[in-house]
Amino acid sequence: MTSRGSQSHGGQVRRKAHVCAGCADLAVSGPSTRYARRALLRAAVFDNPVFDGREQELWAHRPPIAANVVTGVLAEVTPRAIVISRPDGERFLALSPSTATWLGAKVSPSALRAGDPVIVRRRAHLLASGSAAADGRPPAESPSASVAERIWARIGRVAGEIMEVRGRELLVDTGQHGREPERVVIAEASLRHVQVRFPRLTPGYLIDVIGTRRDDGCLLAVTPATAQPPYLAAHPPAPPPTDAYSGGPISGAAVWHEPGDERADLLGVGYAALDPETEGEAAAPGDAAHQHEPCARLPYLSLGSAVRVRNECADRAAVLPVTSCSPSARQFCDRCVKCGTSPRARVADLTMAAFVELGGNLEDGCFNATLTLAG
Amino acid sequence: MFVGGAGLLAVAREVQIPLLAVLLIGGCAAKARRALGARSIDAGIGPTGMFPFRLQRPAAIAIVVSEFALGAGLLVTAGRLGAGVPANAVRVATALLFLTAAAVLAELRTRRPDVGCGCFGDVSSTPVGWRTITRAGLLGAAAVASLGVPPLRSLGSPDWLGEALAATAAELALLAVLSPEIGEMMVRLGRAEPCELRRVPVAKTLDRLWASASWRRYQRYLITTTPTDVWREGCWRFAVFPGILSSRRVEVVFAVYMSGRHAPIRAGVIDIDTPPATSPSARYSSLTVYRKSTILKNKINISSNGPG
Repeated sequence: MTSRGSQSHGGQVRRKAHVCAGCADLAVSGPSTRYARRALLRAAVFDNPVFDGREQELWAHRPPIAANVVTGVLAEVTPRAIVISRPDGERFLALSPSTATWLGAKVSPSALRAGDPVIVRRRAHLLASGSAAADGRPPAESPSASVAERIWARIGRVAGEIMEVRGRELLVDTGQHGREPERVVIAEASLRHVQVRFPRLTPGYLIDVIGTRRDDGCLLAVTPATAQPPYLAAHPPAPPPTDAYSGGPISGAAVWHEPGDERADLLGVGYAALDPETEGEAAAPGDAAHQHEPCARLPYLSLGSAVRVRNECADRAAVLPVTSCSPSARQFCDRCVKCGTSPRARVADLTMAAFVELGGNLEDGCFNATLTLAG
Repeated sequence: MFVGGAGLLAVAREVQIPLLAVLLIGGCAAKARRALGARSIDAGIGPTGMFPFRLQRPAAIAIVVSEFALGAGLLVTAGRLGAGVPANAVRVATALLFLTAAAVLAELRTRRPDVGCGCFGDVSSTPVGWRTITRAGLLGAAAVASLGVPPLRSLGSPDWLGEALAATAAELALLAVLSPEIGEMMVRLGRAEPCELRRVPVAKTLDRLWASASWRRYQRYLITTTPTDVWREGCWRFAVFPGILSSRRVEVVFAVYMSGRHAPIRAGVIDIDTPPATSPSARYSSLTVYRKSTILKNKINISSNGPG
């Protein structure tokens, strides 16, 4: 959502070996048309994909576009509506008394300011059935379809290994190739709250926090996104045995990440088990000690592969393309307790738009999810 | 003691009933186990993958329920209870189920050659082949053979028991030959990595491709033997090569299954000279339609004759 430049930290930043083997090429090429063509090429061999007509239409919109999510920069805020500036023009969204607004905390829409980057879930009829999230068509033009249900402003997230600590200021290596470490400042009022979930704010341990992006690109952390894993980032737990893989759906947590180089409204998923043979490890062999295995047994896939992600808490599902690798899914061996307790694994690292489209609330950090290969 | 052919045939017909019942209930239990593990009744893709998404769950439920009902029905009507019309009705329904399954699996093999039958849950992930289809047909024939069998007696003479065991063993051996699940179970028992989790070098995939009949059929249409793109989805690895077919620029896509000694290799061709459409959606549709109508033998398998 926000565009962040490179950040330095007193000139003492050291780059670590990349957690996500294979991210090197991806950061350069991004979700290129080459990957988008893979579904088409695959269909030349295996006709009749698994999706029904609606999902197939979504899949044909490569990269798929969110139907019920609007991203952009606030151009105007009035008591009854907001105007969002997007590359394709302005979008008007009505406000209602039930519209929830988040800007570091739940606030009134009047707290929003022009220039704030926002992501909005609008009320949509097409998702009301609970199983139609895969529809790639824009909802029918009706007044209710343009009412903002939830607004998140300036929201950001940083997950990774703590590299340096100076008081409330942290330097965090997110494991993304080509990215400088992120600077995180824990809000003073939230320090105790964060420390309850992340008691070891020391280098070598993991942190995952949600907050607001300041104008200088640094994250003002206001809430923990998970509980701190007890292990050092360099020594994650061993992956489960291979017979833990059943070949069927894989349950775990779905989390979200900021767009980075991706389009803000991209519907996609970061995946922890990209095929190292074809997705760039040869170009970036890295340090074997840091090439962690994900903590769930996941089948090898590639960019452009289709997975079905189901939000078990909201009973919504969508077929999404794999659009990136996910360092955090390799690093964090945690659970989501949004609705029940998920198995210990991050099975999907969704783009913000996909997370919101599937009914997730960004400030929650995760939802219980099931991931299935979609064809 | 010498057993006549007619006697052995009668014993073989009798053992079909408990055998079919065990297979049906076993298949039902395996599917239920996977559904419970995944907390989703439509977990896994088998014949239900051919249904629209909204119908996949009802179809999966219908399959599981019908399997259990028929398995239980076969057992209940095997003795004196339900002898006659009810027993034959259950057996006819069983035969219809298996024969329909054979036809559906044949269709599934054509439309979704990448998925397994799901007959026994997780272990039925090997893509559907002639063995699976033949097995369904064989079980259908077994159900037909059980029509008219009188109520089963309790364990009879040692001779009868020996014949029954021999017939059962012979049929189980035949079913084992026709069951790709056996290999999958052996792999799992040996704790070998499933192919989805196994790192496979690209060079090994290409070696297998270059040694295949599919490659030899398409090689003359290729401009280069260096793939322009290689990627992987589970057990399948895809390799794309540029080529020229009927004076048109094409891309030949090979899909190599990375498990088993005689793993399937499939090929497809798409035309890259198709005029660009206005939207990605339209482009996708136009290519699909064009490919179906114009490209020769666009979708082939090893046993087909290839292009031209």
